[in-house]
Amino acid sequence: MLADLVQNTLDGLTAGAAYALLAVGFTLIFGVLHRVNLSYGAAIMFGVYFATWTSLHFEVGLLVLALLTVAGAVLAGAYVERLCFAPHYAAREQPRTGVSSASIAAMVASFALWMQFEEAAILALPKHLYAFPPIYEGGPLQLGPFLLRVESLYLLAAAITVCALLHTILYRTRFGLAVRAVIDVPVAAQLVGINVSSVFVRIFALASAIGGLAGFLIAASHEQVTPMLGMWATIKGMLAMMLGGLGSLPGAVAGGLLLGLVEAHSQWYFGPQMRDLIAYLLIFALLALRPAWMTRWTTTRSAS
Amino acid sequence: MDDYSIGVLTNIGLFSFLALSAYLLLIAGEMSFGQQAFFGVGAYTGGMLTAVFGVPLPLAALAAMVSGALAAVLVGFPTLRLRGLYFAMATLAAAEMARILFELLRFQRQIGGELVGPDGTQGFRGIRWVFERGVEPLEYMALIYALLVAVLVLFLWVERSRLGTTLRSIGADPELAASLGIDVNRLKLGVAATAGALAALGGVLFAHHNTYIEPRNFDIMLGVHSLAYALIGGLGTALGPLLGVVLDLGALEGSRWFGSARMIVFGGLVAVLLVFRPRGLLDERAVHWIRSRAFRKS
Repeated sequence: MLADLVQNTLDGLTAGAAYALLAVGFTLIFGVLHRVNLSYGAAIMFGVYFATWTSLHFEVGLLVLALLTVAGAVLAGAYVERLCFAPHYAAREQPRTGVSSASIAAMVASFALWMQFEEAAILALPKHLYAFPPIYEGGPLQLGPFLLRVESLYLLAAAITVCALLHTILYRTRFGLAVRAVIDVPVAAQLVGINVSSVFVRIFALASAIGGLAGFLIAASHEQVTPMLGMWATIKGMLAMMLGGLGSLPGAVAGGLLLGLVEAHSQWYFGPQMRDLIAYLLIFALLALRPAWMTRWTTTRSAS
Repeated sequence: MDDYSIGVLTNIGLFSFLALSAYLLLIAGEMSFGQQAFFGVGAYTGGMLTAVFGVPLPLAALAAMVSGALAAVLVGFPTLRLRGLYFAMATLAAAEMARILFELLRFQRQIGGELVGPDGTQGFRGIRWVFERGVEPLEYMALIYALLVAVLVLFLWVERSRLGTTLRSIGADPELAASLGIDVNRLKLGVAATAGALAALGGVLFAHHNTYIEPRNFDIMLGVHSLAYALIGGLGTALGPLLGVVLDLGALEGSRWFGSARMIVFGGLVAVLLVFRPRGLLDERAVHWIRSRAFRKS
């Protein structure tokens, strides 16, 4: 009984580490741009497919594969930013409630590109499933009676490192200062000479690089890739971001781990369908009953 | 007309209900990721009533619309006060919950020597009310379009009325609208209920056209598509969402010009279109221009 609880917690942390990494990239875009990038997961999938395609045609090492995944995701992310988000920055000012039509337009456009990435991936690699080289060959670690996958340690370490790096970038560099200024009041940031559009591009590239890293580690620990990776990454990243309270990086990590834990325990006790139901119910209840939890990071902003 | 064209046209008609449902919420300033759930509620309610309980289709369709409206109120009541994207996220969570509930729904009965009714992830077979009454596909298509035209006439009439102006005003600036004495929350709840009923009507017609439905039909992809239809076609008039559906299903499914790369072409076209027309082809300005032209000539 207790042993199951501990083992489920370990499994939950494994999945949660992947969700956390996905959520960090998602949160970066949402926190700075206040836009939902639906093709976030698709760009990651594109990067992973780029690497898979290369590994099928050439002999490459793991590190090269990781770099290729990140490069593919950044390239795809930059394409999404230029075509779907850059044209809609001008109308960024949102009505006080409701959604601005520019943010809907950006979101629908990013959805259209998601379809593009998915079709491109299927055209390049038409089989439903491809093997991806494993990041770790050995079996899971034995911790007394419990098993812990080594891959999950990689994922956790990556999530923590990425967060520390991001924190340094945001609070110790000039670029970070510009980003925080843009988050607070975009108009004022522009008035003091910050190139807001360039901040957005770089944030997109950074988020896509993190997503690419997440995609590589996830594909390497699952040891397989399918085109479904895109939708999966977008939905899990979005859920973890929401659980963490949208727009906070430590929150995104906590939200990812929490989502992993909730899923692992509810799957063990109630089965896979209840697992998803409980995760969605948690988010719906949070939004309906405690909206302040979700908006606590954004309401500190002045009503610009 | 050959079967293929009838099939494409029927689908255009069916998904127009869903696109109109998303459009109605959009002009009132709310973006819902969850209209597919009410489409599903309509499909399951209507299908169960005709196939399992032997209720005639018109009655079942009415019941489906009522349940769609109720479900929309259930979701909308606690969430409509949320701002913009938070509402979108809440409706997404609600819609996915509905899809999983469809997966858990098992209610089968022996009818005519076979089991009929929803069977979880195995889907819901044998919604044959239309088929058993010898309704030809062409006739069923005509029925769908008759209902669609009725809904459209209602839409166009409402949009020219005071209610239409009020709806657009809460979409543009709810606080200003509230200061003019408009009960924004009540109106939005009414809009959500109407949109839910509309989606459910589409759903019940969809179920009886396909005779088979499964929970996967009502996933998030369908919801995002309905939003995209409304936005591509344009937010200026109720004819916009229809144009969006026609463009997608008609030009995309109906033709095979681009072979297997057609999603690449179409996806790029949509993104580029939204750069130039962020509120769609038939946006408010285009509608105003067309209307002023039309009335000057007459």
